[in-house]
Amino acid sequence: MSGIEFPAELQKKIDETSPVDVVIGVTGTADPSALRTKAKCLRGIAPDGENGQPAKIVVAFAGAAVADPVTALEDGMLLAEYPTAPAAEVMNLWRDVSAAQRSVLALAAAWQSRACMVIYGDLAGLEAEPVRAFVEPVVKGGIDLVMPVYPVSKHDGLINKSILAPMSRALYGKRVRWPLAADYCAGAKMLEKLASDGARAQREADLLWPSNVVAMNGGQINQAAMKVRHAPPADGLDLNAVLQELVGSLFEEAEACAAQWQRARASQPATRQGEPCPPVESGEPVDTGPMVESFVIGSRNLEEVWRLVMPPATVLELKRLARQEPEQFRMPDALWARIIYDFALAHRMRRVSRTHVLGALTPLYLGWVASYVQEVAGATALEAERRVDQLGKVFEEQKPYFVSRWRWPERAV
Amino acid sequence: MWNQIGQAIHDSMARVMTQIAKLLPGILAFIVALLIFLVLGWLFAFVLRRVLTAMKFDEHVGRGARGSIAEMSPEHTPTVLITRLVFWCFVVLGLLVGLSAFGASSAEPGVAAYVFAYVPRLIGAAVLLFAGNVLARFLSRSVLIGAVNLNLHYARLLALGVKWLVLVLTAAMVLDHLRIGGAIVDLAFGILFGGIVFALALAVGLGSRELVSRSLGREAAKPSEVQPEQQKLRHF
Repeated sequence: MSGIEFPAELQKKIDETSPVDVVIGVTGTADPSALRTKAKCLRGIAPDGENGQPAKIVVAFAGAAVADPVTALEDGMLLAEYPTAPAAEVMNLWRDVSAAQRSVLALAAAWQSRACMVIYGDLAGLEAEPVRAFVEPVVKGGIDLVMPVYPVSKHDGLINKSILAPMSRALYGKRVRWPLAADYCAGAKMLEKLASDGARAQREADLLWPSNVVAMNGGQINQAAMKVRHAPPADGLDLNAVLQELVGSLFEEAEACAAQWQRARASQPATRQGEPCPPVESGEPVDTGPMVESFVIGSRNLEEVWRLVMPPATVLELKRLARQEPEQFRMPDALWARIIYDFALAHRMRRVSRTHVLGALTPLYLGWVASYVQEVAGATALEAERRVDQLGKVFEEQKPYFVSRWRWPERAV
Repeated sequence: MWNQIGQAIHDSMARVMTQIAKLLPGILAFIVALLIFLVLGWLFAFVLRRVLTAMKFDEHVGRGARGSIAEMSPEHTPTVLITRLVFWCFVVLGLLVGLSAFGASSAEPGVAAYVFAYVPRLIGAAVLLFAGNVLARFLSRSVLIGAVNLNLHYARLLALGVKWLVLVLTAAMVLDHLRIGGAIVDLAFGILFGGIVFALALAVGLGSRELVSRSLGREAAKPSEVQPEQQKLRHF
């Protein structure tokens, strides 16, 4: 059981109509009339049944309908409202989305669906072609999870490029471009696992890392192009708050799954299917001066906290970096990987409060961004992709350092 | 006459020895009570730690109130904090029982009564001192990290100022709680605190007017300078 319970009326409808072929869940509230219109074009995303009956497709969205949560559309399609998960107490970027994703996956599990496509609340991905590209490999090919590859420029998704993707790759052994995705499709075998995600689903602060969960359960992961650009509502959230939420959750995941990721060895590629996303070129030069300045201010003032988190040799190397000319500022990949691993360990050990650990990471992250932006200034989007892939490899190479420190944190390095 | 002097010394010696002899059982009772409660405290703390570890108490607390305890005392898990609290409760209880035994067996009940009356103040002061230190460290680091992330060059100075402000406030509260110094502490603290605020006001108003206005102007101008660069980058 996923641990998520649905209202009696909805559960009754589920029991009456299950099993279904595909559940397409929107992670947010939506206008039902707009969804009805969009749903029409989704007909045919899954193959018809053996006796020629059209595939049973459910389009679900967050709502409050208690009396009539499921309405029938034409051609065997259903429109369902699932109860909105209570919003997190603090302003957040991804916690509410993760909670909605868990609800959608639990709904699909209750419906005994063969596949569940999760769609971001802006409905940009709710088109026949991308949905088919995600659903088909799951329904026909038996793939457990299809993750998206978004068309981004070299200056987009920097937290993902610098920390989330390379650390997930090194720890869980799957080269997934966006481990914290807004749209993806999961197969029947993984629905329960993703919806419950162990005991961690009960914690509203924890985010859902679909590819990491599936990788730990030995599932097969593919990647498909999702040619949309989402803009998560980051109003009122500064970089520090976003880092706290996303990186903090990844560190918590690492702590909760230490037994699994320590066993994982070299990473495996997640097969990219279909046409690749056309690279988005970004010709505008970026002034890295303010970011280098942030790093230098951090280096001058945060030594006391950094020394509690990182070994002396790393702090010394950072001091040396702070003396570089801003134009020549470069942060070596190995150093960056060790920094992230040290912070993950400090997060676990609580030598300093977790808020402070992640707060002290912000200037270092800005230092990495400055270094990366300067390095890829003259590069194409494809070359920048290769650069990010190279960083992932270095994270893998440095994994023994992390495992060693994780097992023997008090041992001098 | 020498006989009388000798007799007087002998009598006073006998009186002192009698007094000491009367005190000894009290002191012994104090030590025995303290030792018994130390052992009891250690035993209870040991059993409690085993029980809480078996119940995975740390994980449950971490899930409920995410890090609220850990944020204030990051080096200790909730289990360690609770077991230590239980142990020290037993130690304090042992001290009180020992004092009571001392008072009951000594001829000077006034001493025990005086110490008893002062013990709650001592405990309160110790708690204040501990809380003040933890708070000072926590706030100082929070200000330091917050100021660094706002790109303030004088972040460390700010953090140091906050730390000492909280420590001075704590010291004044502790002394006041112990009733040491009386009005002098209030007065001294008032003068010190008022002096700091007055000095800052003077610095802003007169001495560093130019510097402060330049600094504030730079800070105010920063968003408009940085914004176009920030728009070119998307962190998530």
